Amino acid sequence: MKPEDVHKSGPILSMNSVEVLYNSVMLAIKGVSIEVPHGGMVALLGSNGAGKSTTLKAISGLLTAERGKVSRGEIRFDGNVIGDSLPQERVELGICHVIEGRRVFEHLTPDENLEAAAPMSLSRGRVASEKARIYDYFPRLGERKTSLAGYLSGGEQQMLAIGRALMTQPRLLMLDEPSLGLAPFLVAEIFEIIKRINRDHGLSVLLVEQNALAALDIVSHGYLIENGRVVMHDTAERLKANSDIQEFYLGGGQARSFHDIKHYRRRKRWLS
Amino acid sequence: MDIAYLSELAVNGALTGLLYSLFALGLVLIYKSSSVPNLAQGALTMLAAYVVLALSRQLGFPLWLAIAATTIIMFFAGLGVEKVALRRMAGRPIVMILMMTLGLDIFIRGSTLAVWGGTSRSMELGISYDPLFLGPILLSRINLAGAGVAIALFVAFLLFFRTRHGIRLRAISDDYIASWSIGISVEHGVALSWGMASVVAVASGVIWGEIQGVDQSLSQLLLKGLTVAVLGGLDSIAGAILAGIFLGVVENVGSSYLDSIVGGGSRDLIVAAVLIFTVMLRPHGLFGRHDIERV
Repeated sequence: MKPEDVHKSGPILSMNSVEVLYNSVMLAIKGVSIEVPHGGMVALLGSNGAGKSTTLKAISGLLTAERGKVSRGEIRFDGNVIGDSLPQERVELGICHVIEGRRVFEHLTPDENLEAAAPMSLSRGRVASEKARIYDYFPRLGERKTSLAGYLSGGEQQMLAIGRALMTQPRLLMLDEPSLGLAPFLVAEIFEIIKRINRDHGLSVLLVEQNALAALDIVSHGYLIENGRVVMHDTAERLKANSDIQEFYLGGGQARSFHDIKHYRRRKRWLS
Repeated sequence: MDIAYLSELAVNGALTGLLYSLFALGLVLIYKSSSVPNLAQGALTMLAAYVVLALSRQLGFPLWLAIAATTIIMFFAGLGVEKVALRRMAGRPIVMILMMTLGLDIFIRGSTLAVWGGTSRSMELGISYDPLFLGPILLSRINLAGAGVAIALFVAFLLFFRTRHGIRLRAISDDYIASWSIGISVEHGVALSWGMASVVAVASGVIWGEIQGVDQSLSQLLLKGLTVAVLGGLDSIAGAILAGIFLGVVENVGSSYLDSIVGGGSRDLIVAAVLIFTVMLRPHGLFGRHDIERV
């Protein structure tokens, strides 16, 4: 998160015709190519099951947890191919993925959630100052830092999930559906903070959203993914003006079914 | 029955119970990180006791050095077991992982029987068997010493889980995918918990080996340990402590009443009843973690 990154040439992230296979048989994305410029904000749009989350998991390496793997194409971070390195190695490189559904550590306090994410190489003093910085961005978290994270509201949990990711000192922050199940004013608040962090620190952001309207307000570019393929790529203004996008993703964006909003957690635990 | 006798039964039961808790601590540590009850914990405990004896009798180490060396050996043995046997099981159905720990249990028991035979050996810690009087109450010195070790270990682990490493382990037990997403090495965390459980096995192997001798029956501590762990909630250290004390007291006091009626052997019945009623009435145990439901 150094400001000079903004001026570097070349994208911080580039994906070149990446294919992902689940269980060695099911093709989830079929040749996705995207780029995120240094210090840029880019959105991946598309409907449920289009392959947006899979794209993020391919970048963060979390595919392995679901028996998926990149079967073709390459992903470069800062010009270097990341291959099939482990998720924790990618976090060390500076890629952090805020996974869908918030997934805070419910039985830990917000303070401990943040501490868990701090790299072990940071000194105690640095961990404290990084935590203070997060509470500065999200004052609501600071007010509740000693209650269990499981009892925070949905919006607070989303803030904690983002704050936790920021503790890993990322240079590329990937957010998967941060607006899911949140009231519109909270979505606006969270997006405003993401924008501020992007501006202050030159943090590059890759945002996955079904709420295209809110997403296109803060990003500079967007990719539209359908059936595992990029079908459109343009600036945010032009995407907003595009009549197909308006019809399918902007106008219809509000009318989600109850099923989409109520996010049941059927979480798997380690080794279960 | 007079009050002095009853309190003697209760106090000694509580001390024995803390030793059950010590054993259960090993189960809890592994359950916390990987959600699997380690059926090989009894065999690990017995193995640790045999290794201490081998180092001190066969190689002539002083006992304290033998125990220290065994602690290091068992820590790495725990890491090794996780890496070789369990890591590849990640993502498999829980029953398969359970069967793997059962296989380990049988393997360790078989190997120790082959190497050291079936005769019971004594640990000879050098703790006197003279009774210790606390007012009118008669205490066993070895149980008292063991309870002290158990409490020291509990405090050490409770403090450990407040450190940065400890917080990371708790994060893994909460949500391992989220842990991966922020760069925590889940594999190392689970391996560490196996290493720590194996270290706990050394403490409980030495103390229980002193109390009942080192032989194959040491591995059967698993049954009482599991009962305590289940009653305490499987993933709660504080729960294991209280459940151990509870079981120890109920077992000691209850059996002294019941034995005169049924003519002996009621200890195991009480343990069985506690396990069965816990599973029926309170499957999360006393302090087990429920999933938090927000309204």
